[in-house]
Amino acid sequence: MARIGVFICWCGENIARTVDVKRATEEVEQIPGVRFAIDYKYMCSDPGQTMVRDKIIAERLQGLVIASCSPHMHMKTFRAAAKAAGLNPYLVEMANIREHCSWVHQNREEATAKAVELIRLAVGKVIQDKPLDAIKVPLTKRALVIGAGVAGIQASLDIAEAGHEVVLVEREPSIGGKMAGLSETFPTLDCSQCILTPRMVETGQHPNIKLYTWSEIESVDGSVGNFTVTIRKKARYIDMSKCTGCGECWNKCPMSKTLNDFDYGLSKRKAIYLAFPQAVPARPVIDKNACTKLKTGKCGICAKVCAAGAINYEDQDEIVTEQVGAIVVATGYKLYSIGQEQDNEKYTGYGEYGYGKYPDVIDALQFERLSSASGPTGGEIRRPSDGAVPKSVVFIACVGSRDPAKGVSYCSKICCMYTAKHTMLYKHKVHEGTAHVFYMDIRAGGKNYDEFVRRAIEKDGAKYYRGRVSKITEENGKLIVRAADTLAGVPVTIEADMVVLASAMLPSTGATELAQKLKVGYDEYGFLSESHPKLRPVETNSAGVFICGACHGPKDIPEAVAQASAAAGKVQVMFARNELTRDPEIAKINEQNCAACYACVRTCPYNAIEKAEIRDRQGNLVKMTARVNPGLCMGCGTCVAVCPSKSADIDGFSESQIYEMIKNL
Amino acid sequence: MSETEKTAFEPKIVAYVCNWCTYLGADLAGTNRLEYPSNVRIVRLPCTGRIDFNLIIKAFEMGADMVVVSGCHPGDCHYTAGNYHARRRWTLFRDLLETMGIDLNRIHFAWISAAEGKKFAEFITEITDKARQLGPYQAYREICE
Amino acid sequence: MIEEIRQTCRTLLEAGTVNVVIAYGQSNPDGPVHPIFVTKPDDVEKIVWNKQCFANLTTYLTRKEVKSLGKAAILVKGCDARSLVVLVQESQVERSDVHVIGLACEGVGEPELAGKCRVCEVHMPVGVDVTIGSTEAAAPEGQNRYALVDEFMKKSPEERMAFWKQEFERCVRCYACRGVCPLCYCNQCIVDKNRPVVIDTSATLKGNFAWNITRAFHLAGRCVSCGECTRVCPAGIDLRMLNASLAQSAEKHFNYRAGMDPETPPVIGTYNAEDKENFIR
Ligand SMILES: Cc1cc2nc3c(=O)[nH]c(=O)nc-3n(C[C@H](O)[C@H](O)[C@H](O)COP(=O)(O)OP(=O)(O)OC[C@H]3O[C@@H](n4cnc5c(N)ncnc54)[C@H](O)[C@@H]3O)c2cc1C
Ligand code: SF4
Ligand code: SF4
Ligand code: SF4
Ligand code: SF4
Ligand code: FES
Repeated sequence: MARIGVFICWCGENIARTVDVKRATEEVEQIPGVRFAIDYKYMCSDPGQTMVRDKIIAERLQGLVIASCSPHMHMKTFRAAAKAAGLNPYLVEMANIREHCSWVHQNREEATAKAVELIRLAVGKVIQDKPLDAIKVPLTKRALVIGAGVAGIQASLDIAEAGHEVVLVEREPSIGGKMAGLSETFPTLDCSQCILTPRMVETGQHPNIKLYTWSEIESVDGSVGNFTVTIRKKARYIDMSKCTGCGECWNKCPMSKTLNDFDYGLSKRKAIYLAFPQAVPARPVIDKNACTKLKTGKCGICAKVCAAGAINYEDQDEIVTEQVGAIVVATGYKLYSIGQEQDNEKYTGYGEYGYGKYPDVIDALQFERLSSASGPTGGEIRRPSDGAVPKSVVFIACVGSRDPAKGVSYCSKICCMYTAKHTMLYKHKVHEGTAHVFYMDIRAGGKNYDEFVRRAIEKDGAKYYRGRVSKITEENGKLIVRAADTLAGVPVTIEADMVVLASAMLPSTGATELAQKLKVGYDEYGFLSESHPKLRPVETNSAGVFICGACHGPKDIPEAVAQASAAAGKVQVMFARNELTRDPEIAKINEQNCAACYACVRTCPYNAIEKAEIRDRQGNLVKMTARVNPGLCMGCGTCVAVCPSKSADIDGFSESQIYEMIKNL
Repeated sequence: MSETEKTAFEPKIVAYVCNWCTYLGADLAGTNRLEYPSNVRIVRLPCTGRIDFNLIIKAFEMGADMVVVSGCHPGDCHYTAGNYHARRRWTLFRDLLETMGIDLNRIHFAWISAAEGKKFAEFITEITDKARQLGPYQAYREICE
Repeated sequence: MIEEIRQTCRTLLEAGTVNVVIAYGQSNPDGPVHPIFVTKPDDVEKIVWNKQCFANLTTYLTRKEVKSLGKAAILVKGCDARSLVVLVQESQVERSDVHVIGLACEGVGEPELAGKCRVCEVHMPVGVDVTIGSTEAAAPEGQNRYALVDEFMKKSPEERMAFWKQEFERCVRCYACRGVCPLCYCNQCIVDKNRPVVIDTSATLKGNFAWNITRAFHLAGRCVSCGECTRVCPAGIDLRMLNASLAQSAEKHFNYRAGMDPETPPVIGTYNAEDKENFIR
């Protein structure tokens, strides 16, 4: 006969008010297998737990039922108490007689009867409980960071500084992300490159950071503590170890017609090019779609002028694998493409704004380049069409944001701020010009943020109109912007020389595909989902995978950096241990009985079950079976339900446990 | 059975719920002190994916007058897809039960999230009332005699 | 046709392409047809093909004793070929390991054609290595493959329940249905599991309901309506009705028919986020 102890808690008056705890205790003592039942005012208090521990030892208990609050509240507490008294923590069950009983029923008779019934079920279960040991998983103390914008850079440096190796993978030829192309940054107007470049250099040189630029993640296998990451190093056509970054090649390359994506198409670049002057690594890459040598076999000038002999036209993509224990995703964002061409059919674009049709209608990132000292105009604000200095510029906020009909329903959060910034940058350079802003609301929450916007309006004289622009047309070289000023209640028409669209922030291209490889959730837009919006903001539901920066949702640099440090902190917490432990409530398969139908393999949401062979000592195949990888199983039990022979079962919620419970109904 | 007997009858209701949504929804009903009838017995399982049809049959064998199966809304399963798999099985299983003449008013499926304490309390109240009206599940009890 | 069958089997055995042929045999001309396992070329003369060849021989492909004989060739009718597809989908049979001889079939059963044959859509088997014989027989136009169920569903739930009580009352738990079904290949059936006992093993109404519901549901989206379970049931229980009802359900909700296409993923263990759920609150 089992030796089960039942501890019934009063929870002060919370339980005792409606459940007659004394009577319940007497009735529960009659349940077969119950050694004793005892009640106490606060079971979770120190004296309560001491009593539990003492009883476990004195009565040589084989299992406990704690009848109190929800297991979500105190299961951990009582498991720890059991463990402290030498009883396996998985021999503890709880009967929820507070949330599911005393708090929801008024009638004392009924509530007491139900409490006894709930305890009876729990006793049934605990009798079938088996001691389980936490699963120990070895830990590779190396981290992978995907995306090297400011967030990825920050996370990498933090982890590297803590003494752990970091593998940093960036798909562009240089690290830096969007911030490398910004001009000056709100709310302080310090130069973006001046603050970012030193960090980029540090990242490039850090002994603990292994940098893969021009590379992408092919696949991710394994699980927390032990991921195997396959990385595709795209052909660069440059031998990175030989190249000195002298620049002879890109100076001499005759092909100069490709739009420069770093300048968002506002300038041209060579077929062999350095991403931007401060690129890290400061090594060029050949654009295989632009290079005549690669396309037709003719030319080859760069190879001729390269003294280091670093050009390799035969270069191929290379696949490498890396072992890591944790992953930080920092793949950032892109802007809603305002032209007609959309990568999501839901986004119908803003054809009425003439983006792509009128060269002087540009987006906000293009404006950053126009006002950047390293940009195509050397920092002078000159419009793309004819290089003239625009005397009147219209800035339109919320293009695509907060517009479920044509764009996204969320607020991109940073546009109000950078639009204010843009008006200031413009006014600081074109003193006689006028900056007009059309907005829906001004959202400037943040330290010194509202002050910043006020400065733009009050000191730099930006003209703000609350209202939406309905149409932009071109007449006599002017852009005619038609809108309504909803505060004044009048229609407004402005003749502008240039229009800047603050388009919505979207997750970067390929974010959802990457999320699937990592088994990380994402929302309808493709922003990655945190595990809990308040309490676990940088964790994901995929253990060992963390997120930071704009891949999680629109955010500015300070927020992206703070999140990056938080994610790096989480990685360090993980790496502070020598091995990981996991909850052992996972599936296992009776391999002798398994019919190898593989319904479970097909079903498991985590691909945790594999097809395996059982062989005898001589190596002959005895039978096929399904086998659970304990490192991957999350314990959902879906395999148990689909297994016709019930060869699959799950510890903690096993068939025996559940049927024993139901028997007591 | 006479009307008075029917109203005096207290049905036995078994609810198989997932640990992450409906169980927490029931917890929330408690935290918010939302009252509902005491007939229901909640059996906590990790996920709706774990709840198989044998458990439903067994509950009837044990004299349940009504069985509830509930978990996270589609897309919200703690294990991403357990409830999608479960939904498929229930779709087929219900049709089988229907062919067998088993009273589908005796089995209820619901998505109840951790935030839906109110939905939980209302749902349980409603089906308990219904179970009282239906009276004991005599047909299955006879099978089990 | 029988000569061609025998000749094909002989060639296969002689050439050593296969070690055994799973075929139909008959000890005496009026006796029942039963499966035979031909390993010697000369024994192909024992093979028969007639209206009594009900058995779905694919059942034997998963048997240890048969597997130990080596590479097999098998005779299949159109309906049997479908269960082979399921067996391959479920990793029970490696398709390249069997040589499948399809038989053109105008239906089994004499004098009356078996029910399943009257609505058969696969008189010429598909997915086989070689077909022997030919037939013009085709499924009747505009037939409703679930007419039986539709008719039954016109009864009230109480009448249906009463019907099944009557049926299952007779079940003697001989498990002949399980034994003959090509898709009941588990090493240990759930009904034989004793820790915990999921299904009452005694032949009481309670146990019989649990057993028959379980078996039917384990075949959901898998049963190919070969009709064997119904044919062998000594109690004459109308098992095909349950199977047909589930087949109808799988087709109706998920547009899935078992054993029709090896490439379509099985209906259980897969899902579509858009699956309907009008019965869930
Ligand atoms: C017009 C404009 C002006 C702004 N001005 C300011 C400002 O003044 N102040 C401020 O605080 N914020 C400003 N911001 C916001 C700022 O740009 C972002 O907060 C910041 O860049 C986010 O950094 P991140 O690292 O998360 O993303 P990103 O900078 O987008 O970096 C992501 C990196 O990941 C790489 N990547 C993406 N996918 C993959 C993949 N699958 N594999 C490998 N690598 C990948 C990308 O190539 C990129 O290098 C502005 C934004 C805009 C649009
Ligand atoms: S319990 Fe869930 S995660 Fe674990 S093997 Fe089974 S289906 Fe996969
Ligand atoms: S579902 Fe069951 S019988 Fe089939 S492979 Fe998985 S464990 Fe084995
Ligand atoms: S063959 Fe018939 S009698 Fe035998 S177990 Fe199956 S249903 Fe019952
Ligand atoms: S359940 Fe019956 S009809 Fe269906 S495949 Fe099995 S033996 Fe054939
Ligand atoms: S965890 Fe709730 S349904 Fe899967």
